[in-house]
Amino acid sequence: MGQMASLGLTQHDVEEVINYCDGVWNQREVEVLYRRFRTLDRGRKGYISGDEFLAIPELSINPVASRLVRMYESVNFKEFAKMLSAFSSKASKDSKLHYMFLVYDVDGDGIISREDLHIMLRQLGGSSLGEEQMTELVELVLQQAKSPQGLDVAAFKTALADPKLALENMEVQIPIID
Amino acid sequence: MKTNVPTVMKTPHSDYFTQDTGVDSCRRAFFSLEINSNIIASYAANVMSSVVPIPTTSPNIFEDVDSSDEESIQQAFSKRDLHSLILGRDGKSILRDVLDISNVLTDGASAMIDDSFSRCFTSRTSEPWNWNFYLFPAWCIGVALRYLVLFPFRLILLLLSASLIVVIFTLLTTFIPASKFRRSMERRLVQALSYSFLMSWSAVIKFHGPAPVPAPNRVWVANHSSMIDYGIICSYQPFAVIMQLQGGWVRFIQTRLLASLGCLWFNRTDLKDRQIVGERMKAHVSSPDTTPLLIFPEGTCVNNEYTLLFKRGAFDMGCTVCPIAIKYNKVFVDAFWNSKRQSFGHYLLKLMTSWALVCDVWFLEPQNRREGETVDEFASRVQRMIAERAGLQIVPWDGYLKYYNLGQKNPGLIEARRKVYADCIKQHLPSPVLQDGGGNMSSFGKKTAMQTEEDSSESQQQGSRRGNRKK
Repeated sequence: MGQMASLGLTQHDVEEVINYCDGVWNQREVEVLYRRFRTLDRGRKGYISGDEFLAIPELSINPVASRLVRMYESVNFKEFAKMLSAFSSKASKDSKLHYMFLVYDVDGDGIISREDLHIMLRQLGGSSLGEEQMTELVELVLQQAKSPQGLDVAAFKTALADPKLALENMEVQIPIID
Repeated sequence: MKTNVPTVMKTPHSDYFTQDTGVDSCRRAFFSLEINSNIIASYAANVMSSVVPIPTTSPNIFEDVDSSDEESIQQAFSKRDLHSLILGRDGKSILRDVLDISNVLTDGASAMIDDSFSRCFTSRTSEPWNWNFYLFPAWCIGVALRYLVLFPFRLILLLLSASLIVVIFTLLTTFIPASKFRRSMERRLVQALSYSFLMSWSAVIKFHGPAPVPAPNRVWVANHSSMIDYGIICSYQPFAVIMQLQGGWVRFIQTRLLASLGCLWFNRTDLKDRQIVGERMKAHVSSPDTTPLLIFPEGTCVNNEYTLLFKRGAFDMGCTVCPIAIKYNKVFVDAFWNSKRQSFGHYLLKLMTSWALVCDVWFLEPQNRREGETVDEFASRVQRMIAERAGLQIVPWDGYLKYYNLGQKNPGLIEARRKVYADCIKQHLPSPVLQDGGGNMSSFGKKTAMQTEEDSSESQQQGSRRGNRKK
């Protein structure tokens, strides 16, 4: 743990982060995440800026890169760990769904409105989706979900409540380098 | 969920490397260049192999990727995304198809947590060993010795010898006209300067293989970890090199002394420069009298555990390529220079206050481009030789990715992935609307305009939210 202390992470900090993430990460994983956070954060600002995220080649060619970067930039380490906790193997399906809802809900008002769907579909479909097709799709989605104004958390979870959708692919291994 | 880790290269010198590279325990798959050696195709393959893998029931997507054009990359991407999309999707529920974006999010999250490109530039942290009651005082004495005795001694020695050499050099250039004699003296002086630098770091360098002999139409390539690579090779045999012009006192050495060898200056961010330098390289190599040319095809400093993509410039000239492999022994000092984290002066200080700099240099067999081999294949064949000798892992990313955003440069890659998703959800639309709707927006300009538009609308909505996030 000696080098962790020199990076500025104490036992107390680690426990705080673990509690904040509802025990999804263990101590080793928090250490690795913290080291990663520090590596990405040049200049020791305490948060990672958008450019630093987009400097990761694999992230920059992700279709929803700009949405993800918006979510993650300028957050401190605790929030960073919390947001990524949806991808732990110990995270429940519920928290994964909640995370997806947060990504979809662009304006953060708790409801996935037409505008939110538009923006996300634009990022996901790009130039392959025409304007009319998008509007049509948005209407279809809202119709199917039976929430004409927009989906709230409950409606979103019901929409994806199919038991076949186990979301087990939504998992990331933290590389523990010994 | 299992990933298999094809560790491509094992270090052949584990007898005196007391630590293994450590990345072996990491569970990301690295792209193995056995499959194909083309640059752009390996981009696609590397991306795909490093994200969360598709379950084993899917066929191997890399099978058909064997050419370098954009079309085959896009096909490879589409296949992969199609697979992960089709998983569990039966096309019946529009809600599922539209709202379940878990695969894209997982890609993003795994890139954020660990990506193969950043790993090429991280230094391994060493475990502290001095926490014992008898080791700690020993360590303290060691530190005192290094900083208070060795360091001033080395510094003084270096300054004396360097100034002496510079003085002799200036005298040489002022009084003696340009001639073969003068040129050979200049080379000797540069060699002496590199040697004095090496002495100041107590360098122990082992050279293996036959000494390089200058000859026309030959070029030397080596893997790159730090600016001192050049110094190390130069102490053995003077070479001309293509370097980035630095500032400060390094610039002085570069412009005064190294220019006499015929070193070429290069600005990596300037595109036109590349062409000019390419021509000058060719001119340099073909003329018989010049100092042999050394090129670092990676284009940037890597941490001596991996090697990045070898750029084709050096291999495109129709010359014989002589590979040189350089491997530092990290037990004594980690010689990787991370230019973003440390200034060169700071780095030199680190070297001068360590016990020693231990390094192996191998001069490998000169290679020619074979019949039917493309330039890129030739480059990666030479890369494989060097990587095998020096115990490095090959990563097909381009070193210049440090300086530019891959998504911006290759929007085609992103668009191809978007198309897969779009096709999947368009199936839910009633038929008349299905007819061509997206074809208008094919130009890059329009797409970025759209993106910036949507980005700004997003940022307006996000503005208030961001305020709550900062602690």
